[in-house]
Amino acid sequence: MDELELLKKDWKKQEDVLPKLSYNQIYQMILKKSSSIVRWIFIISILEFVLWASIDIIFRLNEMQAEVEKMDMGSFSMITSIISYSILVFFITRFYINYRKIKATDSTKVLMENILKTRRTVKRYIWANISLFTFIMITTTGYLLFFTEEYQSRSVEDQVPVWVIVVTTLLVTSAFIGFIILFYRLIYGILTRRLKKNYKELEKLEL
Amino acid sequence: MNKELEHSFVTNLEQNQNIVHKVCRIYTSDSDSHNDLFQEITIQLWKAYPKFRGDAKFSTWMYRVALNTAITLYRRSKRSIKTSDLDAINFRIKAEEYDDQVEQQLKLMYAAVKQLNDIEKALVFLYLEDKSYKEIADTMGISEVNARVKMNRVKTKLKKILNP
Repeated sequence: MDELELLKKDWKKQEDVLPKLSYNQIYQMILKKSSSIVRWIFIISILEFVLWASIDIIFRLNEMQAEVEKMDMGSFSMITSIISYSILVFFITRFYINYRKIKATDSTKVLMENILKTRRTVKRYIWANISLFTFIMITTTGYLLFFTEEYQSRSVEDQVPVWVIVVTTLLVTSAFIGFIILFYRLIYGILTRRLKKNYKELEKLEL
Repeated sequence: MNKELEHSFVTNLEQNQNIVHKVCRIYTSDSDSHNDLFQEITIQLWKAYPKFRGDAKFSTWMYRVALNTAITLYRRSKRSIKTSDLDAINFRIKAEEYDDQVEQQLKLMYAAVKQLNDIEKALVFLYLEDKSYKEIADTMGISEVNARVKMNRVKTKLKKILNP
C-alpha cells in the first residue's frame, strides 16, 4: 500500500517534533504511583474479600449468634463458618498467585489473559459466597419451619401460613442476590470492558 | 544500589524516550492524555526494570511494556476518547486547506490511523517502526502468519477509511 509506505517515511521525520523530557522530569515520574487497571483491580478485589469476610464477623458480633444457639443450630453455624473461611483462604491464595503473574513484559495476549484470570478468581469467590448464602438461607428457613418446636407448637390461628414464610424468604434472598449481581456487574463492567474488547480482538486474530 | 538502578533507568529512558512519545501519539490526541500515558508507561517500565537483564536492547524491551501499557493497563478517561473523535474531524477539515497533495494525504492517513482500534493501532505502530513480522507476533502474542494476515486486513481497512 503506497500510503502506508508514505506514512512510514514521514514517521521517521516525526522524531524531530516529539517532546523532549529532561532527566529530572523523568525522575519525578518514577516517584509517582501507578493508576493502572491492575492496581484498581487489586484494590477492588481486596475490598470485596474484606466485605464478604466481615459479613461473617458482623453476624457473630451481633445477637444473631445467640439466637442461632438458642435454636440448636450452633454446630450448623460452626460448619458454615469453617466452609466460608476455607473458601476465603482458598480464593485469596489463588488471587495472590494469579496477581503475581501479571507482568507488563509478557506478550500482550498473555498479559491480558493473566489480568482476566485474576479478576475471574474474584468473580468465582463472589459466586461461591452467593451460593453459600442461598444455601444457609434456605436450610435455616426449612429448619425453623419443620424442625423447631417454637413454630410447630403454636396454635393454628397464630401460625403464619408456611407458604408466606417460604415466599418471603425466597423474595428476600433473590432481592439480595439480585442487588449483589447488579452491583458486581457494574464494577466488573467498568473495570474490564475495554480489556475484554481488546482481548476478543486479539483472539479473533487467531481464528 | 537503588540510586544506581534509578540513575541507569532514567538515563536509559531519557535517551530512548522517543519510543514512548510515539506510542503516546498513536494512542492519545491531546497533550494532557499524552503526558498521562507517558507517566503510566514510565511507571510500568520502572516497575519491570529490575528484571531487565540487558540480554535484549533496552529499546527493544521498551516496545513491549509501552504497548502493553497503552493497550491493556492504562485507564483512559472518557474525556480523551471524545477529544480524539474531534481531532480526527479537525484533521480532515484542515487537510483540505493544504495545496500539497502529499501533505494532505499524510494528514488523512494520520487521521485514519486514529480511527483504528487499539490492537490495530499496535500493529500499525510496530509496522511503522520497521519491526519484522516475527517481532510483531512476539510482542502481541500471536503467530507470525496471523500477524501478516491481520496487517493486510488493517491495510484494507485503512484504504476503506480513506476512500469510503
